[in-house]
Amino acid sequence: MWATNLKIVGVVLGTLALYTLIANEIPQVQSEVPQTLTLGANVTPEQLVAAGEKVFNGIGGCTTCHGLGTRAPNLLTDEKGTGQIGVRCGKREPGKSCKQYLFESLDNPTAYVVPGYQPIMPVMTKQLQVWAVIAFLESQGGTVDVTASDIPATSTTSSTSTTGGGGGGGGGGGLAGGSTDPKAIIQAAGCLACHKLDGQGQVIAPDLTRVGARRSAESIRKKILDPASSIAKGYEKLAGIMPKTFGAMLNAAQLEALAQYLAAHK
Amino acid sequence: MADGALLLLQAAADSTRAYGDFPVIGARAFVWITAEVHLMFAAFVLGVPMFAVVTEAIGIFGGDERYDRLSKEFTRLLLVAYSATAIWGAMLVFGLSTLYPRFWAYLTAIFAPSMWVYAALFFVESFTLYLYYYGWDRWKKGRAKLGHWTLGILLNVWGTVVMFIANSWLTYMMSPPRDITPTTDPTTIKLWHAIANATWMPINVHRVIANVVFGGAIVGAYASYRFLAAKSDEERAHYDWMGYVGNFIAMSALIVLPFAGYWLGREIYQYDQSMGITMMGGFMSWLWVIQAFLIAVLFLTGNYYLWIGMGRIPGAERFRPYTKWLLIILVLGAIVWGTPHTMIADSKELAAMGGSHHPLLGALGVMSAKNTAVNLMILTTFLSFLLYRRANTRPVVPWARTGTIIQGAMFAIAAGIVLFYGIRGYFVEAIVRIGFSVYQVLAVLACIVCVTVIDILMARGAQSLGAIRWGKMPPRSQYALFILAVTFTWLMGLMGFARSGIRQYWHVWQVMQDTSKYAATPALGYASKMISLCVLIFLCLVAFVFWIGGLAEKSTFVASGAGNEAAGKGARHVGH
Repeated sequence: MWATNLKIVGVVLGTLALYTLIANEIPQVQSEVPQTLTLGANVTPEQLVAAGEKVFNGIGGCTTCHGLGTRAPNLLTDEKGTGQIGVRCGKREPGKSCKQYLFESLDNPTAYVVPGYQPIMPVMTKQLQVWAVIAFLESQGGTVDVTASDIPATSTTSSTSTTGGGGGGGGGGGLAGGSTDPKAIIQAAGCLACHKLDGQGQVIAPDLTRVGARRSAESIRKKILDPASSIAKGYEKLAGIMPKTFGAMLNAAQLEALAQYLAAHK
Repeated sequence: MADGALLLLQAAADSTRAYGDFPVIGARAFVWITAEVHLMFAAFVLGVPMFAVVTEAIGIFGGDERYDRLSKEFTRLLLVAYSATAIWGAMLVFGLSTLYPRFWAYLTAIFAPSMWVYAALFFVESFTLYLYYYGWDRWKKGRAKLGHWTLGILLNVWGTVVMFIANSWLTYMMSPPRDITPTTDPTTIKLWHAIANATWMPINVHRVIANVVFGGAIVGAYASYRFLAAKSDEERAHYDWMGYVGNFIAMSALIVLPFAGYWLGREIYQYDQSMGITMMGGFMSWLWVIQAFLIAVLFLTGNYYLWIGMGRIPGAERFRPYTKWLLIILVLGAIVWGTPHTMIADSKELAAMGGSHHPLLGALGVMSAKNTAVNLMILTTFLSFLLYRRANTRPVVPWARTGTIIQGAMFAIAAGIVLFYGIRGYFVEAIVRIGFSVYQVLAVLACIVCVTVIDILMARGAQSLGAIRWGKMPPRSQYALFILAVTFTWLMGLMGFARSGIRQYWHVWQVMQDTSKYAATPALGYASKMISLCVLIFLCLVAFVFWIGGLAEKSTFVASGAGNEAAGKGARHVGH
């Protein structure tokens, strides 16, 4: 009987050891607590690259789309034979340096939409994160020329984390720098990540191309401020997905401009 | 996101003592172990009564006393297991109240009334168990027996309500109602509002089914040990039969478990998409590859046990050639299910891979392919069981041939629907594709239900090709049952880590932050060591419970004629 007992113990321990071994062989990713990112006036390019990598892989949520190149251009390896982003960024727009191109792409993601992709990227509003990510992207095959002098003096701290997130950071005091251009607001708010409008964007949420025929400006305004106030028919299962934070992110003029713009889409 | 503001609020609130520590292993590890082992015992004392009440019913309504004795044997084990559950539960509460006092105070401020109900129901449940077990021989016949069976049902009802209450606490931590913020005074939160949170009911349903699976698997492991230790053919026959029953119940419930899992996953996504992304595409994405491996082990081992079992059934030889094809489908399905896709990785790893997934095989890593694979694996397992079930019978109804053709057509149609929507999923938008999984699941469930109904009708008066030779199983079949039990238990630990880990550095998601030194959620490697340790502690204690149970009383096996009895009824088993 002892032999049988030993065999049973062997089977149990062997099974446990196998599972433990496999779980230890795969890439080990720990979910860290967000830490305050502080880069002083003497920050080095290496420190910026390291910080940018954390933002890119973490709170920036960049890897959600910029992976192999299915939803967005591949920023880490080759993109359709054009090389890594650090190599190609300086050649994308005539007369623009790599740094300029990347900054404008992050500041206004519709500025240079790569053919074949949808303009679904939200704006990354935290300047420190933006410059850190630029430094990191430049390091992907190129030369890092971001310096401390590029970073506005007011951008001293920002939260970052190595955990997966979704989309870029939001800003306070009005999206898109307080612009009342509805297209800029829509872009900055990342609406097209879920909605379709005038042939652009995704169809996860209702198509907004003719939203004015379904809703009044008042209804649209209410919906933006309180997404749960009414749910479009057929999208009941997705109730709760739309962020409830737009009321705090838009100023009154922006909200009005956006509501009127969408209401005119009939 | 307002992370910064929340961090400041949390930091301000941390001025009072919020955390203690535990020597050597630390506070988190202590709470992890006590919670995990408590939960495993809780699943045992919920799963086994479900098993017991079902087998007692089969004994009562089927007139087969073996099932009644089997039911009693397991109820006896519950007496000791209840104590273990309570001891580990008390350790967990002491751990939470001394190591995480501020968090514990927060939970009690909301849930105190439900905690008293929980304690009261635990008393009621315990006394129902005593009545159920000690009244077994007194209330053995007629109406009294039905009354006794009712006690078994009540035992399950109390246990399930107790579990639902505990589930409300942990699901509140995952998905507190959206109107509750870090500044909400917990004493102002309505109890029912906190209980009926977004993931409460999906977790309830998922755990009820999982407990049935778990109960069956533990019964199977117990039977396999007794089989290997058996000193006579009769005893071996009895425990072979018991192992089959345990495995049958575990595998039957396992087939529907993924559907409950899908529901839970969908609710998590609907509650908070970022939580869903963290779970499936964030730092936990590799966990699902491990899960796929474990479930592949379960499917392969469960089917392997059935195929070996066909060796003791006269007439099964005619189905043997099919098993290699079933094996091929299962292996291919497992490979597809385990294909990684869009895994979280750092830039160096992504560069080394050439992207977030393989340029060619990555196409098999998306949900369209995985849903198709798992549905085909479920269909294959069902087919294995069907062949096992029909192995020693030959239908004599005049429409037997037509019935078999219809059954075959149902399998083909179900597989066709699964494949059609799996392929079509590649060409439609994500929101449409998500809906396709429902059609695939419905096709498989419809096939299982309809084919089973036809089979039952076709088996009426079927010609027997010989009795099942219970006990004529090679030892490796019994080790397969051990692997199943260990894998089920480990899987339970892994999915518990997934459920709890997606909260990341929050005690209560986006309401109360974990600011202790253990706030970071560990990687899978560390988690796997903790899970293995918990499984080992649990299995050692369960072995002790079985040993104590064996000391207290003889097993249900009765040497005098039991083997003959088993052999005499060998043509019948649970599936019949």
